[in-house]
Amino acid sequence: MTGVEKAAADSFVLLQVGRQRYALPADIVAELAPPVRLHAIPHTSPLVSGVIVRRGHIVPVYDAAPVLGAKSSFSHRFYLIARRDFEGASELSAIPVNGECELASGDVEPPREGRPNCVCGTLTIGEESLDVLDFEKLVTSQPGETVAGAAPEMRR
Amino acid sequence: MKFASQETLRLRPTGRSEAVILFSVANQTFVIAADSVQEIRSTDSLAGTAVELERSELPKVRHMVERAHRIYYVVNAGMHFGLPVTRPTLVLILRQLRAAVLVDHIERMAEISAVHALPRAFSGEEREWYRGLAYLEDRVMPVIRPRGFLTAEEFRKLDEVAKAAMAEHEMEGTAQQ
Repeated sequence: MTGVEKAAADSFVLLQVGRQRYALPADIVAELAPPVRLHAIPHTSPLVSGVIVRRGHIVPVYDAAPVLGAKSSFSHRFYLIARRDFEGASELSAIPVNGECELASGDVEPPREGRPNCVCGTLTIGEESLDVLDFEKLVTSQPGETVAGAAPEMRR
Repeated sequence: MKFASQETLRLRPTGRSEAVILFSVANQTFVIAADSVQEIRSTDSLAGTAVELERSELPKVRHMVERAHRIYYVVNAGMHFGLPVTRPTLVLILRQLRAAVLVDHIERMAEISAVHALPRAFSGEEREWYRGLAYLEDRVMPVIRPRGFLTAEEFRKLDEVAKAAMAEHEMEGTAQQ
């Protein structure tokens, strides 16, 4: 692995869902979109709340909040747009996030005991420990599958 | 990571345009190709000719109507799409299918320049319901796949129920004479 590749692999976007912060590998993140209009269409797919239009693409939006033990809210939300792979093809997908996101790097350790499937590691930045999310598993989780023992406040 | 300004772009048109009808059910707008609709009637105008399908196992199909010697099963679009119950006022009689669709009202006709693929995030029944999505005047709306209203198996079951209903209907007619 080259230095550049290592730096990319160690980079994370820190995002906030509900009152808690999480980390997402930066290499799958495309952009942070402002609170654009969410278009709802009737459907039966779990977690999907609608679509937004970004840069000429129709991007599905997943409501990841219930999976992370947070309340769903689509008012004044930003959208973090990331890539999902579908059998070799890539598709943009979005999750609503609160406030600003930031870029950080650090070492990832295995997830702490009792974390759900959508957590693939623990990122330590200073004194703060954040769950690293597996985007694919997050958006394919069942709505009732919440983070075990998720505290309302940030864990430090 | 990029942070872009408010979306102002338009989805690029691809290919020729298509005439469509925008209709609504429970405040949700849908798009259907104009050439897949044979006729639009008010529910009142069909009330006298509709035959109730009491034994239908499909809650979304409670009636059938006969038009030009052809039986059409009347699908309640709200129930089909899992939307709140409304009082439909119009029936779209489809062209290449023995189905008619109850809708709330017609918004207007329009031309769309592209039907965009339904994102793969949508993995449920909607993949049968929709051909894709249309982007028109800053709105994203599902484009109906008419064949998604009733499956071949549902048609088969309805045909059985309709046969019995027609027989009962004829017997009632004979008894009244």
